[in-house]
Amino acid sequence: MANNYLNSLWFVPMAVVMAPAYSADYLTIPQAQALLFSDSATFQDQSRLFSSDAKSEIKDLAGTRQRQDNQPIWRVEQNGELAGWFIVDDVIGKHEYITYAVSINPQGEVMGMEVLSYRETHGGQVREQSWRSQFNGKTLADPFKLDEDVTNISGATLSCRNLLDGVKRLLVIHKLYLSSAA
Amino acid sequence: MMRVSANKVCKLSLVILGLSAVNTASAGEDLFGYVKGAEALPKDAIELYQKLTFRDGKEQGSYQALDYETEFEYGYSNQLSLSSSIKFMSLDTSGLIIDGYLPTEKDISFASSGMEVGASYMFLSPAKDDIGLSMSMNLDYDWIDKHSGQDKDTLSLDLGLQTQKYFLEGELIWVGNMGMESTYAKRAYIDNLPEDFDWPTDAEMEIELKFGTGLSYRFAPNWFVSAEVLYETEFETEVGQERWSWFAGPSIHYGNQDWWATLTWLPQLAGGGEQFAGQEDTDLHLIEKTEQEFRLKVAFNF
Repeated sequence: MANNYLNSLWFVPMAVVMAPAYSADYLTIPQAQALLFSDSATFQDQSRLFSSDAKSEIKDLAGTRQRQDNQPIWRVEQNGELAGWFIVDDVIGKHEYITYAVSINPQGEVMGMEVLSYRETHGGQVREQSWRSQFNGKTLADPFKLDEDVTNISGATLSCRNLLDGVKRLLVIHKLYLSSAA
Repeated sequence: MMRVSANKVCKLSLVILGLSAVNTASAGEDLFGYVKGAEALPKDAIELYQKLTFRDGKEQGSYQALDYETEFEYGYSNQLSLSSSIKFMSLDTSGLIIDGYLPTEKDISFASSGMEVGASYMFLSPAKDDIGLSMSMNLDYDWIDKHSGQDKDTLSLDLGLQTQKYFLEGELIWVGNMGMESTYAKRAYIDNLPEDFDWPTDAEMEIELKFGTGLSYRFAPNWFVSAEVLYETEFETEVGQERWSWFAGPSIHYGNQDWWATLTWLPQLAGGGEQFAGQEDTDLHLIEKTEQEFRLKVAFNF
């Protein structure tokens, strides 16, 4: 009988031959900064360390957890004036974290969004401009409902929802901690 | 939705040729060994599974079985998944004869045992709606009785409902299942059985009810640990409630964008119904079930 169990290994070489593989880290932080702001913009690191009370306040307003204690944030200036904020964030994908960056103008509107890394089986369309551009102009006044103001991508619904919730949370962070710094 | 390249389709075609016609099935990535989630494969996505189930122990003698199932699943639409599978088995029994169920010792090194087609339709998405809901339907034809290894034609229709809910942005996942399997079965005649041995060859009907629930937690990127509980009971033409059993056990799951694997240990915690003569542990059903099962699933995404 023991030899019979070796029969179970017959599928392994088949699987190795067929398993696809592709890269998933698409942008570095400087590359994302260059895509979201003009070449003359300057970036000043103003990362924030949130207390547990601050994280609770963010969750109350955003509806989702602020998981990270330290939020990477850059103040962006152009010609000596505030041009906006550049924030890098991670949200939960089905298997791994999705790293993305959002630019927010001083009025609290999303200027743009870039996906830095995405390692999920389905939903590579989150990187496409047509999907990301749906976030442009979003404010906390928007509903942030999947398929209402941002379309869902089948097979990647959890990723889409978490990215949508993540952008809303970053707008909350802007409202609570960055808008007064303008 | 990931488009399937021509290259991938060519590679797959060699495998698919050996399988039966493309039809329906379960759906998506299994975090558990037995209970299923409610998510559907997206349109045009393909998943190829290899499932191995090791069934071990009936208290007396030696009973070890290994079930192999190779399954192909295709996302026909964003809600409807179709699948087909082909099944093989190995079996080694000795030192245990059960009147009416295990008529002889059996040693099957490797044999084809059945095939299955299925479909799963997702009504509500667990990641978008308040709770996910899907329905599955599988039609199974077996020509070997997986319990005894004897020739037996079995045709089963398995209907199931799956619910699923995400918590903590997807780090914690709950699923609930219920299902009913209706079976028509007819055993083949066996020569040289003792005269007083019961081995009916008339057709029989069985109905099995299945309830299950599971909780899975992503403790690190790509890694999930899960626990599931199952209750199964079967009613048969002549004896009424033939068996019932509670099972519960843990799983460990790894998944990335290309493939995933789930390893599950599922011991039988309690059981009842029919028992064989001389069975000492009367708290388990050991005629059709075993003391424990181990299941390994490996799947590749295309």
